[in-house]
Amino acid sequence: MVLVLAIGDLHIPHRASDLPQKFKSMLVPGKIQHIICTGNLSIKEVHDYLKSLCPDLHVTRGEYDEDSRYPETKTLTIGQFKLGICHGHQVIPWGDLDSLAMLQRQLDVDILVTGHTHQFKAYKHEGGVVINPGSATGAYSSFTFDVNPSFVLMDIDGLRVVVYVYELIDGEVKVDKIDFKKTATTRLAH
Amino acid sequence: MSVVSAAGSFEESPTRSVGSVSERSGPLANLRGVKWRINLGILPSSYSSIEDLRRVTADSRRRYAEIRRHLLVDPHWHKDGSNSPDLVMDNPLSQNPDSTWGRFFRSAELEKMVDQDLSRLYPEHGSYFQTPGCQGMHELLAPLLYVLHVDVERLSQVRNEHEDHFTDKFDGLSFHENDLTYNFDFKKFLDSMEDEIGSHGNSVKVRSLDELDPEIQTIVQLSDAYGAEGELGIVLSEKFMEHDAYCMFDALMVGSQGSVSMADFFAHSHADGSLTCLLPVIEASSAMYHLLSVADSSLHSHLVELGVEPQYFGLRWLRVLFGREFSLGDLLIIWDEIFASDSSKVNKDTEDDAGSGFGILSSPRGALIAAMAVSMMLYIRSSLLATENATTCLQRLLNFPVNINLKKIIGKTKSLQALALDANLSSSSPPFSGVYNQNNPMVVRGSSLPSESISPRTPLNVVPDSYWEGKWRDLHKAEEQRHDSSGKQNQTQKKRWLEKVKLRLSRTESDPTPRTVDNGTKHSRSSIRRSLLEDLSKELGFEEDSEKDGILEASTEKDQPSVEAEVQRQDSVNREFACTSDERYLTGNAGSEESSSIFSDPASPVSGANDNENDSEKSSVASNSSVDENDRQSHTMPESPPLPVSQTPDDILKDSQSNNDSLEKSQTVRKVLSGKFQWFWKFGRNSAGEETSEKGGVATETKISANNESNQSNSKGASSNDGSCKSSSSSKGETVDQNVMGTLKNLGQSMLEHIQVIESVLQQEHGQLGSRENFSKNVLVGKGQATAVTALKELRKISNLLSEM
Repeated sequence: MVLVLAIGDLHIPHRASDLPQKFKSMLVPGKIQHIICTGNLSIKEVHDYLKSLCPDLHVTRGEYDEDSRYPETKTLTIGQFKLGICHGHQVIPWGDLDSLAMLQRQLDVDILVTGHTHQFKAYKHEGGVVINPGSATGAYSSFTFDVNPSFVLMDIDGLRVVVYVYELIDGEVKVDKIDFKKTATTRLAH
Repeated sequence: MSVVSAAGSFEESPTRSVGSVSERSGPLANLRGVKWRINLGILPSSYSSIEDLRRVTADSRRRYAEIRRHLLVDPHWHKDGSNSPDLVMDNPLSQNPDSTWGRFFRSAELEKMVDQDLSRLYPEHGSYFQTPGCQGMHELLAPLLYVLHVDVERLSQVRNEHEDHFTDKFDGLSFHENDLTYNFDFKKFLDSMEDEIGSHGNSVKVRSLDELDPEIQTIVQLSDAYGAEGELGIVLSEKFMEHDAYCMFDALMVGSQGSVSMADFFAHSHADGSLTCLLPVIEASSAMYHLLSVADSSLHSHLVELGVEPQYFGLRWLRVLFGREFSLGDLLIIWDEIFASDSSKVNKDTEDDAGSGFGILSSPRGALIAAMAVSMMLYIRSSLLATENATTCLQRLLNFPVNINLKKIIGKTKSLQALALDANLSSSSPPFSGVYNQNNPMVVRGSSLPSESISPRTPLNVVPDSYWEGKWRDLHKAEEQRHDSSGKQNQTQKKRWLEKVKLRLSRTESDPTPRTVDNGTKHSRSSIRRSLLEDLSKELGFEEDSEKDGILEASTEKDQPSVEAEVQRQDSVNREFACTSDERYLTGNAGSEESSSIFSDPASPVSGANDNENDSEKSSVASNSSVDENDRQSHTMPESPPLPVSQTPDDILKDSQSNNDSLEKSQTVRKVLSGKFQWFWKFGRNSAGEETSEKGGVATETKISANNESNQSNSKGASSNDGSCKSSSSSKGETVDQNVMGTLKNLGQSMLEHIQVIESVLQQEHGQLGSRENFSKNVLVGKGQATAVTALKELRKISNLLSEM
C-alpha cells in the first residue's frame, strides 16, 4: 500500500503562480510515501513545498529548472516495481511512444514517468507502463495553451499498481483509475 | 493520548464476553492464560468438558475475526456489488471522511501511535515485545499477550515431552506469525482455514491420556487439533493469540456486566444513576483515598495535608492496573489476584443505589483494586509520612520501590478488600457499614471510633414520623439479609446483625445530615440513636414512673411476640445462656464478674454516678420485670393491635422517652421479675460459657453486641419463653417469618428499641473514648456501658421471667 505521487511541469513562477486550490487541499502530508517529479518546478520554493508533502522526493531536470543539480534521469524501486523518471524534453519526438519505449528499455524499468507535453497519458507498452502526469498547474506548453491541470497518484501494492488520475476539468476534480498488474517473472504485456 | 485512541478503536466492537467469573482450580491452574480467560469471563468457569472450552474458544475467536474484517479496512477490496466505486469520493487523496481510504488512513495513524508506545514498553523483555508479532498492542494488552505466549511455551514444552500425543496428521498450511496484526493476507488465510476446519471430523485422539497428569492431559486435549472445533478450538494456540488477546482485552476493558470497566477509566462515561459528574477514574481515586482513610487515617490525613490529590498517582496506577509500578513477573501475580476476584456488583444493600458509595468499590474486583492501591501506599507508609512536601511525596509514590515483598502486599490487599467492600455498603458520607463477615472487626471498629468522636454531637429534636417505617424496613432488611446469608446459626446472625446495627448507629452518628428518610437507611436510625444517646446521657438515672408502666406494657407486648418467635426458632435455654453470657461479658468488661447479684451488683468498674445509677436502674428493672410480668402478659393480648403503631414511635421517636424507656423499662421489668430472679440468675451463670463460644468469632465487638443483646434480651426477656436475648435479637432482626402474635412482636420491638438506645449510649461512650486511640476497642469503659450492663441484666431477668410464664 505504497502511495506514490507523480507530478510535474508546474512552471512556477514563470507560467503559473500556484497549484489549483482544489489540488492543494487534496495534497496533505502523511498520506503519500514518495513523490516523483518530472521537472520544471521551476524554483526552489516549489521543491520545498513538495518536500513538505513527503520527505522522499525525486526530481529530474527540466529545461526551465533553476536548480541545475537535478539529474537527467532517475530510477528507483518501490515494492516490486522499478520506476524510471525523465523530464522528456530529451526524447525526440516529444511524447512519441516508441522513443519513450526506447528510453524505458534503456533504463530497464517497469514504469516510466515523463512529462514535458503537459498532457496526461498512460500507455501499456511492451511489458511496461509509460505515464505522463501532465502539468499540475495547467501551465501552457510549447505547443498548446489548452492544458488541464492534472497529476497522478500510484498505489503500488505487491504486484499490482493502481493509477489514479486527478484532473481539474471546468473547476471540478475528476478522478480516474487504471489497473496494471505485473506478472511475477515476465514483464507487462499489451 | 495513544492509550486512549487505541482504546477507542477497540470500543467500536459490539461484542461482549459474558460469563461467570469464578476461578476454577485444577488441571488448568498452571495455565495462566486459560485461567485469566476464565476469570475475565471469556471462557466459562464451569465447563463440563474440554469440548465446551474449545467451543467457546472457537466462538470467541470467530467473533474477533468478524470484527476485524469489519473494522480493518482494505481499500482494495471492493464492497459487494459495486464494481466501480465513486472515484471522486473513494480515491486515496479524498478528503471525504467516509471514504474507505479515509478510514484506512485513520487506522494507519492509530497503528503508528500504538507501535510507538509498544516500542517503549517493557524494554527488559525486549526479545519478546519488540518482535514484529507484538506490534499493535498497548500497555494493558501487552501482559495479556505475554501470558498467552507463556502458555503456548508451556504447551510446546509439554509437546516436546509427550511427542507421541501430538502427532499431527493434518496437512498443515504454512503460517507466518509475523502477520499477526493488520495484515490482510492473514484475514484471507483465516477464512480459508475456517473452511478447512469444517471439513474435519471430530475424531478424538484415542490414546492413553489417562496415564498422564490431569494437567498434561488437559493441555493435550485443549490443543488437540482434531478435537471439537478443530484448529479453531485449540485453546492454547499460537495462531490465535491475536484473537484470544483481543477477547481478554475486551473483557478487561468492558468488564462483563461488572463494575470494573477499564474503559471507563480512560474515557468519560456517564453511568446511569451516577450522581457525580466526576470522571470515573477520579471517583475511583477518591474511593482509594476513602479506603485509605478507613484503614489508616493518619497516613490519609498526612497526604491530605500535603495536598496530594489521589488522582495524581491514582490515574497511572488505576489506568494500567499497576502495570507501571511493578516488574512484569510481579505484575502477573497481582493480576492473577485481581482477575480472581468476582467482578459482579455486590448488592448487599438494596436500599439506595444512587449516589451511595463508590462505583469501583461495589464489586469484589474493584474493591481489590482499590485495596491494592491502599496496601501499596501502606507499604511505603513510613517514607510517605516522612515527606515534607507534596512533590517528594508524589515522587515516592510514583517511583514505587523495586524490591518488594509482594506476598505481604497481596495479603494486606486481601484483608483490605473485605474492608473496602463493606466500606461501600453503607450509603454516602460516612461510608462504612456494619460488617457481616468481617475478619478484622478491630479495624472496622477502630476506624469507626475516630469518626464518631470527630462528629459533633448535633442534637436532634425532631424525628420524622416515617422513622419507624424506616426502622421497620431496616429490621426487615436485616432479617432478609440474615436469611440470605444462611448457613449461620440464628444466634450468630443476630449477633452480627446487632453488631452491624450497632456499628451503623455509631458511625452514622457522625453524619451531619442524618435525616434521610428513605427505605431503611441507617440514617434515620442513627439520627434517632444519636439523639437518644444524648438524651440518655443527660438523663441517666432519671426515672419517670409515669412512663414506666407504659413502657413496660409496651415492652411486654413486644416481648411476647418475640418470645413466641423464639420458641419456634431455637432452644430457649441456649438463648438464655447467650443472654446471660452477654451480661457476663459486659460485667467482665466493666470489671466485675457477673455475680449472682444481678440486681445488686453495680457491675461497673468505672465509677461514676451514672454507672451506679444505671446499675441500680438495671437491677431495678430486672426486678420490676419479674414482678410485672404477669401484669404485662395480661395486658399484652388486648393491647397488641395498637402497639405496633404506637410502639416504635413511643420508643424511638421521642428522644427522652426512648432514652428513659430503656432505663425505665428495665427498671420496671426488673420489678416484675424480682420473683424470678433466682431462676434467672441461675440461667445466666450457666449460659456464660456458651455465650462465649458463640461469640468467639467476633472480637471486641462481641462485647458491645453482647451488651446490646443482653440489653435487648433483658428488655424482652420478660416475654420470652425461650430466651429473651434471642427473642429480642430475633425481633430486632425481624421475626417476619414467624407467625407470632402481633402483640409479642410489638413488645419485642419495643424492647429492641430500648436495647438499641442502650447500645447507642455505649457507642457514644465508646466513641468518645476511642477518639484517643484508633483501636481501643478492648476498652469498654464508661458510664454508658455500665448503664448498659445493668440494663442488660434486667432485661435478662425479664426474659427469664417471661419464659417461665
